[in-house]
Amino acid sequence: MPREIHPDLLVGSETGDDAGVFRLTEELALIQTVDFFTPIVNDPYLYGQIAAANAMSDVYAMGGRPLTAMNVVCFPVNEMDISYLKEILRGGGDKVREAGAVVVGGHSVEDQELKYGLAVAGIVHPDRILTNTGAKPGDLLVLTKPLGTGVIATAVKGGFASGEVEAGAIEVMAELNEAAARVMAEFPVSGCTDVTGFGFLGHALEMARASRVGLRIFASKVPLIPGVLELASQGMVPVGSHRNLEFCRSILKVGERVSPVLLDLLADAQTSGGLIISIPEDQADSLLERLRAEGVQHSQIVGRVRSEGAGSIQVV
Amino acid sequence: MTTLDCRGLACPGPVMRARDLVDEKAPAGIEVLVDNEASASNVARFLENRNYTVEIERGRGEFKIRGLRGEGADSCELIPTHRLETAGKQTLVMISADRLGSGDDTLGRGLMFSFIKTLGEMGENLWRLVFLNSGVKLTVKGAETVPLIRELVESGVSVLVCGTCLHHFGLIEAKEVGETTNMLDIVTSLQVADNVINI
Repeated sequence: MPREIHPDLLVGSETGDDAGVFRLTEELALIQTVDFFTPIVNDPYLYGQIAAANAMSDVYAMGGRPLTAMNVVCFPVNEMDISYLKEILRGGGDKVREAGAVVVGGHSVEDQELKYGLAVAGIVHPDRILTNTGAKPGDLLVLTKPLGTGVIATAVKGGFASGEVEAGAIEVMAELNEAAARVMAEFPVSGCTDVTGFGFLGHALEMARASRVGLRIFASKVPLIPGVLELASQGMVPVGSHRNLEFCRSILKVGERVSPVLLDLLADAQTSGGLIISIPEDQADSLLERLRAEGVQHSQIVGRVRSEGAGSIQVV
Repeated sequence: MTTLDCRGLACPGPVMRARDLVDEKAPAGIEVLVDNEASASNVARFLENRNYTVEIERGRGEFKIRGLRGEGADSCELIPTHRLETAGKQTLVMISADRLGSGDDTLGRGLMFSFIKTLGEMGENLWRLVFLNSGVKLTVKGAETVPLIRELVESGVSVLVCGTCLHHFGLIEAKEVGETTNMLDIVTSLQVADNVINI
């Protein structure tokens, strides 16, 4: 329990949640999170945008909004032109501005391998915090972005992906979860988390465990980036995604109708993925309608929360 | 048989090397050595995608993926399982009564429950269910088959329920699962389906 550590620590690291939350006053809590990674695309400006969208996603997943951000940079000064870094920072800065937040500084170190990301601070009302512990039996699960960025990044490296498929993945990764979070705030949502490195199944599993519920995933309803199914069936599944599936496998029950390729995609490690929103069944359709009206057009109902099989996932 | 040693290569390296070889030489037999499960699964999948019949041999920290095609492959009985699943055709099941068979009605209702419960075993081939005549009673409030049909819908099966039939039994409001439909949709479905099973 986080409060045993400090009375105002509302969300700590115990439940594998997206960010830490600390109460400042009765009406205000601080959300803090940090994330950085090696380049996921070649274009430095887009890499900056994606890293920023990804870093701020944790704040949105907790039901909050970002206020300030600080750049975290590891840069090979002797091997790479400094203009490359400027483009990264410009991309990151533009994305932070788009979110209505500001970059207030940062820190860089020299490193063999380029890495970029941000430490983000946001705010939320202490009574409106959303965590992965809140999913309730009877809820439906909504996913707000299509899956497949890990497979596509691997395929780009291998020269298997067309420019069109790659552009599809970049658009998904650079999209803020801001609109999804804004719409979510209009509804009595039970719980939320975002999809990143552990893949959809990994983060769903964390939710199942933290909420002590079972999840049934409707595999054929899960949105996928166009073209990614074909790439996965050509052997473009990255090691990380393969590990995600192995990690989940013991608590996973997979139906006859789910193909191995689709299952790999459900476990595919995502960069800047969408939100998994757990919402009472009678509200799910209106949530979906509002999300689509606000431009979160790939949103789908992808599963159901059940009391049976707590801590496990059934994929049908 | 051409052998590629891809041990020590990270994904997608082994698949890239396999692709280069297949694109350039199109060998009838190919053998790829890798040192991790992810690469083994990826190479196997790539070769299957290029119409090779694939077999994986697991050693200590080492995997050998063997692909055969052409004459060599004909005599080989190994067919990748997911290929079998997806090779199937669209099956439509038409259910025109609320019980299965004639004789004892209690037995017939029990059999229908069990039939619908077991339908999922058809796997990916099961495309659509059409409920007609008293069959529509299986889709309405209070029917114990509703949760079973809902599970099929959630796993991607399309379910059509005859509107005229619902109307006849005064059950239009009571329907809980499936799409209410008309005879034109039903006839078109029968035409589009590869297999039709009439119950």
